[in-house]
Amino acid sequence: MHLDRSKQRARMAADSDPESEVFEITDFTTASEWERFISRVEEVLNDWKLIGSRVRKPLQKGEITSGSWEEHTQEINFADFRFSITHHCLKQESAESQSREGAGEDVCPLALQDLLCVNNDFPPRAHCLVRWFGVREFLVISPGAHCEAVVSESKCNLLLSSVSIALANTGCLVPLFVQIQQKWRKMYAGECQGPGVHTDFEMVHLRKAPGQHTHLSGLLDIFKNKMSCPLTPLTPLPPISISIRFTFVLQDGQQCSWPQQPPDFYALLAGEVGGVEFGRLPFGACEDPISELHLATTWPNLTEGIVVDNDVYSDLDPLQAPHWSVRVRKADNPQCLLGEFLMEFFKLCCRKESTEEVLGRNPVEEEGTENSDITQALSKLTEPAAVPIHKLSVSSMVHSARRRMRRHRRAEESPLNSHVLNSILLYLFPDAALDKSDLSDVKSTQPSPGGTTEPDRESEDYHLYNQLKSAPSDSLTYRLALCVCVVNFHHGGVRAVAHLWQEFVLEMRYRWENNCLIYGLAGGAPDLRCCLLHQKLQMLNCCIERKRARDDGRKSGASDRSRLGPESAGPAEVSPGKSWDSWSDSEEEFFECLSDTEEMKDTESEKKAANKSRAEGRLQPHGKLTLLKSPEPLYIPVTQEPAPMTEDLLEEQSEVLAKLGTSAEGAHLRARMQSACLLSDMESFKAANPGCCLEDFVRWYSPRDYVEEEVDEVGQTVIRGDLSARMKIPGNMWVEAWETAKATPARRQKRLFDDTKEAEKVLHYLSQQKPSDLTRHLMPCVLHAALLKIKEEEESEDIASVRKALQQVTAHASKLLHHPNPDFKKLEDVIVQMSAEEAVIARARSLKAKFGIAGGEREEDADELQSIKSPLQVELRCTLDDYLPVFQSPTLDV
Amino acid sequence: MTEDILTTLKILIIGESGVGKSSLLLRFTDDTFDPEIGATIGVDFKVKTLAVDGNRAKLAIWDTAGQERFRTLTPSYYRGAQGVILVYDVTRRETFAKLDNWLNELDTYCTRNDLVKMLVGNKIDKEDHELEREEGLKFARKHSMLFIEASAKTRDGVQCAFEELVEKILQTPGLWESVNKTRGVALSELSETGQGGCGAYCSLL
Repeated sequence: MHLDRSKQRARMAADSDPESEVFEITDFTTASEWERFISRVEEVLNDWKLIGSRVRKPLQKGEITSGSWEEHTQEINFADFRFSITHHCLKQESAESQSREGAGEDVCPLALQDLLCVNNDFPPRAHCLVRWFGVREFLVISPGAHCEAVVSESKCNLLLSSVSIALANTGCLVPLFVQIQQKWRKMYAGECQGPGVHTDFEMVHLRKAPGQHTHLSGLLDIFKNKMSCPLTPLTPLPPISISIRFTFVLQDGQQCSWPQQPPDFYALLAGEVGGVEFGRLPFGACEDPISELHLATTWPNLTEGIVVDNDVYSDLDPLQAPHWSVRVRKADNPQCLLGEFLMEFFKLCCRKESTEEVLGRNPVEEEGTENSDITQALSKLTEPAAVPIHKLSVSSMVHSARRRMRRHRRAEESPLNSHVLNSILLYLFPDAALDKSDLSDVKSTQPSPGGTTEPDRESEDYHLYNQLKSAPSDSLTYRLALCVCVVNFHHGGVRAVAHLWQEFVLEMRYRWENNCLIYGLAGGAPDLRCCLLHQKLQMLNCCIERKRARDDGRKSGASDRSRLGPESAGPAEVSPGKSWDSWSDSEEEFFECLSDTEEMKDTESEKKAANKSRAEGRLQPHGKLTLLKSPEPLYIPVTQEPAPMTEDLLEEQSEVLAKLGTSAEGAHLRARMQSACLLSDMESFKAANPGCCLEDFVRWYSPRDYVEEEVDEVGQTVIRGDLSARMKIPGNMWVEAWETAKATPARRQKRLFDDTKEAEKVLHYLSQQKPSDLTRHLMPCVLHAALLKIKEEEESEDIASVRKALQQVTAHASKLLHHPNPDFKKLEDVIVQMSAEEAVIARARSLKAKFGIAGGEREEDADELQSIKSPLQVELRCTLDDYLPVFQSPTLDV
Repeated sequence: MTEDILTTLKILIIGESGVGKSSLLLRFTDDTFDPEIGATIGVDFKVKTLAVDGNRAKLAIWDTAGQERFRTLTPSYYRGAQGVILVYDVTRRETFAKLDNWLNELDTYCTRNDLVKMLVGNKIDKEDHELEREEGLKFARKHSMLFIEASAKTRDGVQCAFEELVEKILQTPGLWESVNKTRGVALSELSETGQGGCGAYCSLL
C-alpha cells in the first residue's frame, strides 16, 4: 500500500543527514506528475495551517450534531485529473482550546481520541465519515465534479500512497481520506499519522452481508482478527466496548394509504361543475411528503460479553433497547397542489402574447363592417366633442358582435367549454341568475353587495387586503383571481385565461351599457388600498351609478326640477365636496342631456326664473346665518360630487401638477387648474343665494377668512366682519373666480366628472390587458387567497412554526406588493415560501396519519395513541429541519 | 447635483385653514415670508434638496388647502407620503382641537402605516398664545409624533423641523428604500436549511 515512500523519504532525508555523501545532489524538483500532486497536497495542508497538533476539549455529548461545521474546498490536479480537497472541521467556541503546541512526541492525534470517545456515537445528522469514525476534523480528497470515480485498485493505492507521503512530510495529524469507487457508494479509505502512531481507515462495502457477519459475535470475530494480528499475540485483548444500533427503515409510503382527500378538481374534471369549486384553492400534497421513517434502537457503550448476539440467539430485542430515536426523511420537493397552482399562475406573468394573439384570430376583426362601426362608435364616445350619445345603437352593435363571437368560438372549439364558462360567470356574477325584477330587491337590501358568504368584516383576515394591496375576500376582483387561477390550471392554460378575460370584459361593457351595477364591489370612490384592477372596477361602478342617477333624475326631474337635482338621487350625494381636477373636461357637456324638446322648454323657463332672482339648487340653510346684504337665510347649495379617482389617474395628475414647477407662474397655473371645482361651487352658491356676495360665500366655504371684530361705534359695540387680508389681495384666485362665476345650479353646470368618458377609459383599459397583465393585476389577490388557505389549513393542525413563517411571508409580500412595480422575481420567492409551508402542513398530516392519530375510528387504540401524542408534537416542530431525533425514550427498558 | 441624491421623499403638509402651512413651506424653500399669501386652492407643490448627515434627499413637498370643502380630495395626495407635517396655530385653540380629525384622515388615506408624523405649532412670534408648548408636547407624545414650535415669520424652528423629519424618515428602515432586502434573504435561508447529511445505511465495519 505504501509503495514508494521509502524512496522518497531517503531523498528528502538527504540534506539533513550529515553522514550522507557531500556530493550527492539533493533534488527538490518535482519531476513527475505524482510528485507534483504530493507537493500540491502538502502545500494545501500548509496553507490551511493543519500542521502540528492541537489540544481541544473532549467532545461533549451531541456536540457533533449541534455544533456548526466549517468547510474549505480547493481544487488540485493529478496530471489532468481534477480532485478537490476539502477540510471539514467542527467549529468550537473557545479559541484557547485550539492553541497549538509544538509537535510533542507523546501527543496522540485528536482524531484517535475522537475515535475512542463514545459521547457522539450515532450522531443523527453529520457527514458520513463523522458518523462512522466520530472525528471532528478531517480532510477528504475526492474526484472533481465531472470526473470519473477512482475505481481501479492501483489508482486507489497510488492516491493513498500520496496521502501517506504528504502526511508524513508535513507532520499533519489530521486524518486524510480519499474517496474511492463510485460516488454513491460513499467509500472512503484514509490514514492518520501521529508521532509513533499510524492509523488506517478502511471500509468494506458489500451488496449483501454474509451470514456470519450479520450478528455481533461474527463482527467481533472479524474485529479481533484484525486487531490481534499486528499486536503481540500473547497478551489477551483488552475488553472491547461496543455501541449497537439497529435502524429500521419504513420506506414504502405507497403501500400505506395516503390520506390526501381527492382534490376538488377531480369533480371539476369529471364535468360536475358547480360554482362553489371556483372559490376554493386546492391544498395538500399529491404524494406522501414523508418518504421514509427511520427507527433507531440503540444500545450505547456496552462491554463485550454483556450481550449475546449470534446466529441462533440474540439478547438484542429492539423493544428492550435503552435508547430509541425516530427520524423522518422528507420527500424532496413533494408535489403540493397549492404550490403548483401558484407557480403555474405565476408563470403566466411571463407570457408576452396579447389576448387576441392567444386566442388566435380576432373574431371581431373578421367582421369588417361591424368592426369599423364599433371603433367609430367608441371613438365617438371618447372624442371630447361627442354630444348626444347613441347608446342604444352602440350596445346593440356590441351585442350583435358578441353573439357572433360566441358563435365563432363554438365553431372552432373555444378554449373554455361553455359549460365551464357559464358556471364561472355564474360564480362571478351571482346576481345574473336572479330575475331582472328580483334584481332591484337585491340592490335595495344590499347597498354594498358582498359575496355569497358574508365574511366577518371585522376580522383581521378580512383586512389582509390592506396589507397585500389586493381586494376584499368577498369582492368580485378576488373571485376573478381565483377563477383565473383555476382556469389556468385545469381548463386550458393561457388560452382559457384569455378567453375568460374577454368574456369578463364583455360583461363589464354589458353592465355599463345597461345601467346594471357590478355585483360584489364596495360602493363609493375607488379604494386606493386595493389593487389597481379593483379600483378600475370600482370606478366603472361609480360611472354606472352616476349614469343611473342621471337617467333617474331625468325621468323624475321633469316635474319638480327646481328642488330635485339629479345628484340627490345617488346615495353618495350626501358627502359634500368637489373635484377640482377635472380641468381636462373640455367638452361642452352638461349635466342634463338637453335632448328632448320638452325639457328644453322647461329649462328655458327656469332660466327666466333665475333671472328673476329665483333661487335654485338649495340643499339646506347654513345654520342661522343670513346673507350680509339681505335678510335671506344663507343656503348651502347642492354641489357636484367629487370625481372618483383611481391611483393611476391620481398619479398622472400629481405628475401634471408637479411638472408645472415651483415658480410663481407654475403655482398660479396649478391653482387655476384646480379651481374648476371652486368655480362650480361658487356658481352653485350664487344660484342658491340670489343677491349674495363673496363674503357670504367665504363664510360658508372658508369661515376662517371672514374676520369678525367687535368695534366700538358711537358708544355701541357692533360686530363688524370683513374678509381676511389674504382674500383681499387684488387679483387673487378667489376674487377672480367669484367674478367669473355665473349663478348656475349644479345640475346645469358643466360636469366635473364625465362618467361616460371615464367608463369608456376603464373599459378600454380592461380590454387592453394581456393575460400576463391580468396575472400581474391579480397576483396580490391570489397570494392573499393562498395565505388565507394556508392559514385555514394550519389552524386545524396548529403548527407554531408555520404560523410564524406565515407572518413573515405576509410581511415580506406586503413590502413587495406596496412597491409601485413589484419585483416579480421576489414574488416568486414568496410563492416558494408558501409552498414550503404547505409541504410542512402536508408532512404533519402524513405523520399524524402514519401514527394513527387522525383516524379516530379505532377506539381500542385510544390509550396508546395518547401516549405517543406528546412525542409526536416534538416531531412536528422538527419537520422544518431534516432528520432530527424525534422522541428519545430512555425509559423504555422496562 | 442629481447624481448624489440618495432618495426622493414625499412630504405632506396638512392642518386647518389659515394656520400657516403655505408660509412654513415658503419659509423653508425660499426663506421668505409673505404676510399676504393667497389661500391655497387644492394642493400646491414645491421641491427642495436637503442634506442631512451627509445624505442629500430631494423633498417633494405637497402643501394642501385647509378648507373643509377641499378635504374630500386632498386625501388622494396622501398616497405614498413618507412624512407628514401637521400644523396648528398656537394662537387659535380650535386649530389644535381639530388635530384628531386630521390624524384620523391620515390613518384612513395614507398608504403606509410607518410614515413619520411631525406636529408643528406655528406662529409663536405672536403674543396672544392660546396654547402652551406642553399641550403640543403631550399630544405629540400620545400619537408618537415629532414635535416642534416654529414661526414662519421669524424663521424660528422651520429649517430644524424639516431636517428632523427627513432625518427620521431616513432612519426608519424600509420607509424610503424601495424594497427592504434583508428580510427576504433571511427567509430564503430559512427554507434552504437542512439539506445536509448523507443517507447511507448499509455499511459494514
